Amino acid sequence: MFEVGRICIKLAGRDAGRECVIVDVLDDRYVLIDGNVRRRKCNVLHLEPTKMTIEIKKNASHDDVASKFKENNMGVWQTKARTVAEKPVKIRGTVKAAAQEDKPKKEKRADKKTVKEAVVVQEKKEAKAEKPKAKKVAKPEEKKEESDKKTTKKASKKE
Amino acid sequence: MVRRSLRSRSLRKIRVKTPGGRVVIQFKRRKPKAAHCAKCGAALMGVPRARPTGMMNLAKTKKRPERPYGGVLCSSCSRLLFKEKAKSLG
Repeated sequence: MFEVGRICIKLAGRDAGRECVIVDVLDDRYVLIDGNVRRRKCNVLHLEPTKMTIEIKKNASHDDVASKFKENNMGVWQTKARTVAEKPVKIRGTVKAAAQEDKPKKEKRADKKTVKEAVVVQEKKEAKAEKPKAKKVAKPEEKKEESDKKTTKKASKKE
Repeated sequence: MVRRSLRSRSLRKIRVKTPGGRVVIQFKRRKPKAAHCAKCGAALMGVPRARPTGMMNLAKTKKRPERPYGGVLCSSCSRLLFKEKAKSLG
């Protein structure tokens, strides 16, 4: 009953309820199983044999068993490769700097305005550009007059 | 007299010695009964008896066995299910 190639269902353990194939018979009590379970030694009492058998050699590798299982549309257990993640190293001052970088920079208001508004803004700018020129012309004359007045007053006082 | 809310039989009285040297009665909630198999009613192994707050703080693997139907069916009942699956496979 429990010979190489016999498909069984595992009854106990965390692999319980899954199909496995007997790869090697170790003695009257223990067998080596593989397939949709982890490849390991198992007690015969924890297996329920089925009527199915598949053709595999004694001590077949996991890849051979996997290919046979896929032909019969049965799942195969793949152990995940153990990846040891790098321990995160804390460096002083990096957390704050990263937070400031992540902050979204404030967009300039000119970008958001529509064309009409942009035109209005331009007109205003032009008007402003004209005004200070006019003022500048008037101012120095006024200043001269004022300074003259002051000097004359002072002169009169002195006298 | 004990306040009326503490007179319930669902509370248990515990004698506690305080730092001041007095022995004082404190009232605690009782533990819930053990989980039972959904099929045969046998007490389940591997499921701790704890109040909801206690269970909340436990890791997932500490609350039930790592087996299909762990925490729901006892081992013998789940084995019957797997044997039926084996018979249907052939």
